[in-house]
Amino acid sequence: MTGALRTEGLTKDYGQGRGLFDLDLEVAAGEVFGYLGPNGAGKTTTIRLLMDMIRPTRGRAEVFGVDCQAKPVEVKRLVGYMPGELPQFGGLRGREVVSYVAGLRGGVDSGRIVALAERLDLDLGRRFREYSRGNKQKLGLVLALMHEPRLLILDEPTSGLDPLNQQEFHLMVHEARDRGATIFLSSHVLSEVEQICQRVAIIRQGRLVQIARLDELHHIRYHHVEVDFAGQVPADAVRAAAGVEQVSVQGQRLTCVVRGSFSPLLTALERGEVINMVSHEPSLEETFLAYYRDDSAGMLSEAARAS
Amino acid sequence: MLRIALRAHRTGFLVGAALSFVTMFVETEGFAAAAGQTPAERAAFGAQMQALAPQVAYLIPLPIHPETLAGYVQWRGFGFVYIITCFWALMAATGAIRNEEERGLIEQWLASTVGRLRLMAARSAAFTLAAAGVVVVTALGAFAGAAAADGSLDLGAVLEVSLALLGVTVASFGAGLLAAQLVTTRRGASALGGVVLLALFFLDSLSRVNSGLEGWSRISPFHLYNRTTAVAPGGVFDLPATIALFAAAAIMTVLSAYAFAVRDIGASLVRRRRVTAAAVRTPSANPLLRLPVFSALYEQRWVLLSWAIGTMLLAAFILSLARSTADLIRSNETLRGYLQAGFGTDPNLVLLALFWFGFAAFILAAYAISQVARWAADDAEGRLEMTIAQPVSRARVVLERGFTLAAASSVIAGLGSVVVAAGAPAQDIHPETGRLLVATALLVPLALAFGGLGAAIIARWPRLAVPVLSLVAVAGYLIQQVGPLFRWPSWALDLSVFTLYGTPLTTGVFWTGFWALAAVIVVGFGIGLAAMHYRDVAS
Repeated sequence: MTGALRTEGLTKDYGQGRGLFDLDLEVAAGEVFGYLGPNGAGKTTTIRLLMDMIRPTRGRAEVFGVDCQAKPVEVKRLVGYMPGELPQFGGLRGREVVSYVAGLRGGVDSGRIVALAERLDLDLGRRFREYSRGNKQKLGLVLALMHEPRLLILDEPTSGLDPLNQQEFHLMVHEARDRGATIFLSSHVLSEVEQICQRVAIIRQGRLVQIARLDELHHIRYHHVEVDFAGQVPADAVRAAAGVEQVSVQGQRLTCVVRGSFSPLLTALERGEVINMVSHEPSLEETFLAYYRDDSAGMLSEAARAS
Repeated sequence: MLRIALRAHRTGFLVGAALSFVTMFVETEGFAAAAGQTPAERAAFGAQMQALAPQVAYLIPLPIHPETLAGYVQWRGFGFVYIITCFWALMAATGAIRNEEERGLIEQWLASTVGRLRLMAARSAAFTLAAAGVVVVTALGAFAGAAAADGSLDLGAVLEVSLALLGVTVASFGAGLLAAQLVTTRRGASALGGVVLLALFFLDSLSRVNSGLEGWSRISPFHLYNRTTAVAPGGVFDLPATIALFAAAAIMTVLSAYAFAVRDIGASLVRRRRVTAAAVRTPSANPLLRLPVFSALYEQRWVLLSWAIGTMLLAAFILSLARSTADLIRSNETLRGYLQAGFGTDPNLVLLALFWFGFAAFILAAYAISQVARWAADDAEGRLEMTIAQPVSRARVVLERGFTLAAASSVIAGLGSVVVAAGAPAQDIHPETGRLLVATALLVPLALAFGGLGAAIIARWPRLAVPVLSLVAVAGYLIQQVGPLFRWPSWALDLSVFTLYGTPLTTGVFWTGFWALAAVIVVGFGIGLAAMHYRDVAS
């Protein structure tokens, strides 16, 4: 796969532990890549570094082999960018904003703009200041997509969109991917990432903590397990099983959390007579929350984190 | 809430207080230099000022005993300083409502436990306190100036005029609050409030030269303010007029509070009925939007048009006064000598050079400062980020700003000079076309010099750019206007940035000044370019 986006030791140090540190990332061409993290984790800082809005303290980033800092104009020819918050265009009408930005870029097909506005049901005749947040977000999508870029960099693109338009956006992302575009989108909405991304990176406190395919990410997932026994509950054997945590016993019922393979738990359960067993897999959202929960809560072992 | 509101007025308070203090101090301290030391010199000076004053009555009221320190301070000090405080009041009022609505702050306050009326009361109370502070500092400027001039002022009289000054300032704030209820943007509110206050200002000033307007002038807060002349010997403190000022302020604030309470946040009190029309999906076909510089000019076309029309009206107004003022100068040996020594032989032309081109230079500087404010806002509001997210170099952004400023300044200066060229013959003024063109063209580098300074400052301190440039412009203008009158040394006059412009209409191009302006432009935009290249852009 040809690399669409690559960073090496990319760092923006704002001091006092704030910023982005030693980011090594590679996104393949044609990939839909999700960039996850809670607020303040460094998602927007990463995107601004890629877009050459801010300059790295050290390290480098490139888009399709072009250095983002050395040749920013060339990079931006390849990129469609949607910021987290669209700027103020005051009294300009939507159609004027589109023309203005298209003028800056050059070579934008008007038919493509019309098609995007139709799909998103965006009235370009209204003044920018009259737009609701959702409509501003739609305009941002039009501006990012109108020139059919090879790489889309989208900072929380569906924030403010209603569910119907979110679905439309997901379709548009799939279509962009189908025509060969690469999509790099930041989000903290995991359901969205689950729907459209092939790989995700998770960033926390400015550091990359995980990068994996969506199915690989399931390694950090866990299962809530409830087991009902006919006789004695083999609590000690279950507690001793690898990957089993938070074991508690109430009467004949044992509950626990299982990470990774079920085999050690199943082996331990052979010590008793199981009459009922329910395993519940939490959503990625819950997994994500658990991932960021304080270690003292004991939801995430170092072993799981390392995986 | 009051503490937060006071904090919001902090920058305005500091700038307003500094400008007012400097204005009062300079005017008061300069009295001795202007009027001389002996009673005879001062009597002669007073007679000259009495003769000159009607010619500038469109700006400041007529003097009472200008041969005395107190009379001079009342005339030149308190007769001018209210323009500064009222301008600040207007900007503070429109900012307190519309700017904070645009930034979503009002929504935040109202989403908490703060009610609309309480919010309005807090903002008005905070401004009144800040304005009282500025008025006190202004009075201190007068006393400091008087002490420096070995004179003294009556404390009670200064307090009386200060009370009137506070009254006209809060009345202007009330007018600004009211204007802010009628339009949806800060820029629109400032424009509407500015037009109303300017109309009231001219209603007062023109009533001094046209008795037919005297009755109408009573509705002008500036007329009510100028009725108090307590500092001047024989002057009066018009208590009813002062009470009327505070009453007007209270009424306008209450009306604004009512409008604020009943209207939607983000909307005007008077809403236009939206015409239902089919949704538009096509981009604008306007070719200007796709061209560098022209797109920026198109976007600010109404603002540019307002500046151009304002400049043309002012040019016509000043031109209409030129001949009568020149006649006065011809009849006054001292003034004639002073002007001829400094600027040339033809009093008509000298007046045009000093009054119009002196004022035009200040207008162009003010326009350049407004553009610097726009650049700073582009950065803060994410517009710059959006621009350089396109395949556009950072250098192009800075250069386009410079070229846009040059183009817009050329339009404003050019149209002003067209009015001057067209109207001058009727006033028996015959400027050489070539020199008129040169004098007009040289206004552009002056505007660009302010732009260059702004480009350099906003790269590091975007919030400071406008206050710093405003200080440079106002101080420079004051130095140029009052310096020669007070016989300041040439090095002091050279401190004015406007000195670099020279008087090209009468004495030709001041090449040293021109090259100095060119250097400021190159260095300023050079710093701006370098800073833009290396700095982070993040809203």
